[in-house]
Amino acid sequence: MTEVSLRSLVKRYGKTEALKGISLHVRHGEFVSLLGPSGCGKSTTLKCIAGFEEVSGGQILFDERDISRKLPEDRDIGMVFQSYALFPHMTVAQNLAFGLEMRRVPKVEIAERIARAMDMVQLSAHAERYPKALSGGQQQRVALARALVIEPAILLLDEPLANLDAKLRDEMRGFIRDLQKRVGITTLYVTHDQGEAMTMSDRVVVMFDGQIAQAASPEEIYDHPTSERVARFVGNANILDLAVSPRGDGQLDLVLPGGHLLRVERPACGAGGGMRVMARPEQIALTEPAAGQIGGRVAKRYFSGRHVEYHVETDVGPVVVVAPTTHAVREGEAVGLRFDPQRLWPVPSAEAPAEGRE
Amino acid sequence: MRIDALLLSLFRSLVYAFLLAPIVIVVLASLNAGNFLTFPPQGLSLRWFWTFLDNDVFIDAIVYSATLAAGATAVSLVVGTMAALYFVRHARQKAELVRLGVLLPLILPEILTAIALLFFFYEIGIGTEHQIALFTGHVLMTLPFVFLNVSTSLQGRDNAMELAARTLGASRYTAFRRITLPLIAPGVAAGGVFAFIISFDTFGISFILKGAGSAPLPIQLYDYLRFNFTPEAAAVSTVSIILTLVLVTLADLLFARNPDA
Repeated sequence: MTEVSLRSLVKRYGKTEALKGISLHVRHGEFVSLLGPSGCGKSTTLKCIAGFEEVSGGQILFDERDISRKLPEDRDIGMVFQSYALFPHMTVAQNLAFGLEMRRVPKVEIAERIARAMDMVQLSAHAERYPKALSGGQQQRVALARALVIEPAILLLDEPLANLDAKLRDEMRGFIRDLQKRVGITTLYVTHDQGEAMTMSDRVVVMFDGQIAQAASPEEIYDHPTSERVARFVGNANILDLAVSPRGDGQLDLVLPGGHLLRVERPACGAGGGMRVMARPEQIALTEPAAGQIGGRVAKRYFSGRHVEYHVETDVGPVVVVAPTTHAVREGEAVGLRFDPQRLWPVPSAEAPAEGRE
Repeated sequence: MRIDALLLSLFRSLVYAFLLAPIVIVVLASLNAGNFLTFPPQGLSLRWFWTFLDNDVFIDAIVYSATLAAGATAVSLVVGTMAALYFVRHARQKAELVRLGVLLPLILPEILTAIALLFFFYEIGIGTEHQIALFTGHVLMTLPFVFLNVSTSLQGRDNAMELAARTLGASRYTAFRRITLPLIAPGVAAGGVFAFIISFDTFGISFILKGAGSAPLPIQLYDYLRFNFTPEAAAVSTVSIILTLVLVTLADLLFARNPDA
């Protein structure tokens, strides 16, 4: 049972602050993704937890133990690297045995535990091969087995799928997630791919500029981002400038250019400052021009097989709508757009400095 | 096209001839039956090899040179590998400075390094005694070769493997010994062979820093040739050519086939 706590973690490289006070609590067995663009500090956070980088301030706790000054070999972590980092001069079995030998596990037990780990990643037939002889996906699974066979307190994954092709990547997502649930290990996963973060995680931590912008479940992040930047980074988002007027009962009135009034829940984060409204492309309905809350004209149409993406010019600016392929609207046609007030979400506009922090 | 190909192969042959002819001539001259170092040889014989084997001065010089080379190589391997690790992994913006520093003995004329060392060692009161100056000079001359070979085999290898070993419970040193060292072994071995040959062969450093007593082979040969002009000198050279070839071939057999080289 291991919980991870980061308390006001700061990392400085010379004068630049790579981490500006990260605080995060990861529960036992939780799968948490650190998501953000390159340079946001997600990898630095992982390196600090692994012990590859010294922290400049703050604490890292495993349960109640402060491990932030310990050497990597004393932290009891399993880590999977983007490059797999398998030892090329050792067979798969020797790769797995390495961590156990370091822990002075008796030979007989080593053999048993390797066999179990190989079985777990379905590679029992390949124990005597060298990593070079395995495919990318197999190497990835060996790396996972090597990290897990030592039964570490926590598992760290650093963009482990970045070097795989798209189809294999989808497969490995499910594989890693299932394995993690079965083992029940507390896991931190670094990625810049929001699809990975959303599908795999219990909780997603979105990071920008060395700070946590939002930490919440994938659904919460997607439907209720606490800032315009998070809304834009996770999935596609239409950010609309609408007239917003607060009401007494904790709701907001949005006024559309045609005079339509939409009443939406007021988010907790947006006290004061300018508000804009987020509408996800698949949550907007395309209608006959007369039936829409606002009107527009289709400027571009992209067919992707699974759905069609329409770029619609409207009075509130360009709006992207994703619709089922059964719709047959051509470029240049006039359309109406209907918003579902339940799904519209006001966010503090990007100019407003306050970004939600946990 | 055909003319081009012909000219190219002619050029290639000339380059090889230019490189190899002196060696061939030395070997042939060592088989000379006559009393003087001449070419072509006047009859074939191994008599100068026997003379050489009976000559303690040359045997001593070869043993002395080999010992010196082995010592210098050992020190260079340790220091050079450490320098290469620092240069590739940790130096960051200081990297160019580190590289220049280590390679300076290779870039500067050998004689300058030798004279600088001579001044230095007299200044600190050691002079050429106890072969300290000579040994230091040989380490300096061989260091760049270890450094270059090892840093080449380190480059393009990220340090994720060492970090992986650390997370698995290995200390910094164990990670180096079990993971990094086996992977860069071919580079280390190549650097060692180079270092040994360079030390065995170097003249300027030995000439200036040599103290009293026994001298390395190149100095002994030079001394000998000033007063004697017999094929014995060629025999000595032939023996050291053969020794070098054996060493290089052995290293090649041991390491060049390593799949991770």
